[in-house]
Amino acid sequence: MSRLFVQSDWVTPMVVALSLGVLISLFNPAFLSTFNIQVLLEAVSINVLIALSQMVIIAIGQMNLSVGALGGLAAVIFAGLMEVFGIPPILAGAMALSVGLVGGLLNGLLIGLTGISAFVITLATLSIFKGLNLAITQAQPFYEIPDSVKLFGNSTLFGPFPVIFIPAALVVVLLVVFFNRLPVGRWLLAVGGNAHSAELSGISTTKTVVIAHAISGLLAACAGILLVARLQLGQPTIGDDWLLMSFAAPIIGGAILAGGHVSTVATVFGVLIVAQITQALVLFNIDPFVVQIVLGLMILTAVTANQWRELRMKHAGQE
Amino acid sequence: MSNIAFEARSVSKFFPGVKALQNVSMQMREGSIHALLGENGAGKSTLIKLVTGVYRPDEGQLFAGSEPVNFTRPHDAIAAGVGVVHQERNLIPRFSVAENMALSQLANHPITPINYADLNEQAKPWLDILGLDIDPATQVSRLSVAQMQMVEIAKALAQQTRVLLLDEPTASLTPMESKALFDVLQRLRDDGVSMLFVSHKLEEVKEICDTVSVLRDGVNAGENIAMENLERHDLIRLMIGRDESAAKARHSRAGGEAVALELINVSTAQGHKDINLDVKRCEIVGLYGLVGAGRTELAKAIMGAATITDGEVLRDGRTVKIANPTDALHRHKIGYVSENRKDEGLILEHSVLENAGITIWRKSANRLGWLTRAGVKKRTVPFLDKLAVKTPTLNQKVGNLSGGNQQKIAMAKWLAAGVEVLIVDEPTVGIDVNSKAYLHELLHELANDGTAVLLITSDLPEMISLADRILVMDEFVIKGEVKNTGDYKAISQSVMEHIHHSKDELRRAKSAVSG
Repeated sequence: MSRLFVQSDWVTPMVVALSLGVLISLFNPAFLSTFNIQVLLEAVSINVLIALSQMVIIAIGQMNLSVGALGGLAAVIFAGLMEVFGIPPILAGAMALSVGLVGGLLNGLLIGLTGISAFVITLATLSIFKGLNLAITQAQPFYEIPDSVKLFGNSTLFGPFPVIFIPAALVVVLLVVFFNRLPVGRWLLAVGGNAHSAELSGISTTKTVVIAHAISGLLAACAGILLVARLQLGQPTIGDDWLLMSFAAPIIGGAILAGGHVSTVATVFGVLIVAQITQALVLFNIDPFVVQIVLGLMILTAVTANQWRELRMKHAGQE
Repeated sequence: MSNIAFEARSVSKFFPGVKALQNVSMQMREGSIHALLGENGAGKSTLIKLVTGVYRPDEGQLFAGSEPVNFTRPHDAIAAGVGVVHQERNLIPRFSVAENMALSQLANHPITPINYADLNEQAKPWLDILGLDIDPATQVSRLSVAQMQMVEIAKALAQQTRVLLLDEPTASLTPMESKALFDVLQRLRDDGVSMLFVSHKLEEVKEICDTVSVLRDGVNAGENIAMENLERHDLIRLMIGRDESAAKARHSRAGGEAVALELINVSTAQGHKDINLDVKRCEIVGLYGLVGAGRTELAKAIMGAATITDGEVLRDGRTVKIANPTDALHRHKIGYVSENRKDEGLILEHSVLENAGITIWRKSANRLGWLTRAGVKKRTVPFLDKLAVKTPTLNQKVGNLSGGNQQKIAMAKWLAAGVEVLIVDEPTVGIDVNSKAYLHELLHELANDGTAVLLITSDLPEMISLADRILVMDEFVIKGEVKNTGDYKAISQSVMEHIHHSKDELRRAKSAVSG
């Protein structure tokens, strides 16, 4: 039984997330109000996409520093296409998504073909994407967002469920299938777990890296678009504060930074934990800087716990 | 004679400035085990890479059966029925046994959903053939090293492999695990599989292989010779081009010497219980045991890198508390040559001089506390010379040197520091015969000059050629002592008895508890 708990990654974050919810609502029943749950789920919907965008890259043992810059670029392009050219939202969304896809492909091709570390490549592309963003927006937000988009970003179904929860949930389901059932998803984990071995089995590392970054870019763009819909505004600063969140949730969800092991469901719970803490601090009127500190401490705790678990696993193997 | 399963005919491979292989030929026959021997750098790895499609030959031709083949990538070799079990582990640790075995299948169908029950079904018969009692759904990281190796063989067989290359398969196996592996290889041979066996352990090669090809400096020194006509010394002559300098039997000189290092009833946080041992000046004491017996852990505890919870450590007869490895080196003159020279022993990106000098930076600093290159040189060069380290310059990156030379540098740095007690952990793993003999000679000389040496090795022949007496460790406890009489059979037997005895006891104890 204890082994089961050590093994399944999502059990611990789920227990933590649920206990946190119970604890906070005991101190402040307002936490369970319909409005509060709606706000919580809105934050979760977008942050899940940000976290998964990073998680896909952690799976192959790399990191993507350009998640926020690419998501932000897709966001302002989405808003700009609608405001400046009057392009219908669906088409503008599709074009913004393809910007994310192309940006991701660019990252993947540069890393896969040059063999330079993902850290350096995505640091460079971060700067490029952010520069394009500022060139397009001149650092001014796009305000003219069509009503249909605003409605999409701010209405709810069945009480507190925001509509933007639907695409996020869809992505989660797709990624669970992708990583557990589809060979191409297993390629990512194989390359992250032992690239040499994957290569010998006929899995192309370059192809896999490109696929991972393309998906990452697509998810980042998706998060950017949803954020525009929710904020009702094409802010040039969208994405600036995503980096910490993007790493925190997968790590809290037990992802191994060296690659080869991630859990989509656990990452969702990781996002939920972070969102609840953020919200609790607001409910209790605690200074926002505390959020940053708590988030940092949580990353440290989670990393330590992951390491401990890896060691236990190794030990179990030697028995 | 049986049919040819795979053949390399006059193949050559050139790298910028280097002729890695020249005109090399080799024939592997069905239902036969072919040994590929050669010193490090003789071209074995290059030949294996040609056969497995990693490299393409610049000249010559490969044949699978009688068909000429041109592999452009590893996958082509797999498709032609050539499988390889590599020296480094080549499994995905977080994947199940079954999924690892089916990985090349999954490589070709990106979006067909995986049916894990099917994969487990497919894997089962191959595991059965090898007599492996593992659930195919088990995650690979939970297996022992020996089990992983077997899974790699199963994986190769599952890919319809008829030509199986084994690159130093026993390097990290215990003698008993090796024996189990040989049983499997013999069964595969009876089924008609053709195997290539690469190993530095000549005893094994003699035992299991039918024919042998030998490489020396990138050319054939012997081609498809029947093993039955060869003795161990013939193999060595083929490999190094001359006779092996005879291993001198160790004459113990430690008779009247003082005890340099003594452990009395030592227990550690890792689980060692009541360890008693002593090493005299001029003595080499062997600490034998299987992988995981707790030998390296004990060495680290002595060095102060792990906690001693009970008992006493005596250095030159005085009780000492060793806080950390720096303390061990500078206050107590105890050095430790790690088994893991790549991760723990050397900094591969740094130069020879920097590595050799690292232990004496404190001593060689001048009066102002500045470290001068000349100061470091003065203290290290004599030892590098003494060990005959082959390096173009002292500025050469250690990572670019051969394994044997790396190991010499790892030793030189401790000698330069003037240690009186040296703990050597698996000194010759992955090192060729020539360098090995040299390192052995060196350890003898060190002991004769007064150093107390504690030698950890799983290589019994090495133990016998080096140690004065052998302590047997198992399950973090010292099970007994065997005097080194030089008689391999007798020693091997009594060592195994000590270990088996403890295993039987454990089994009895366990069944007593559960019953």
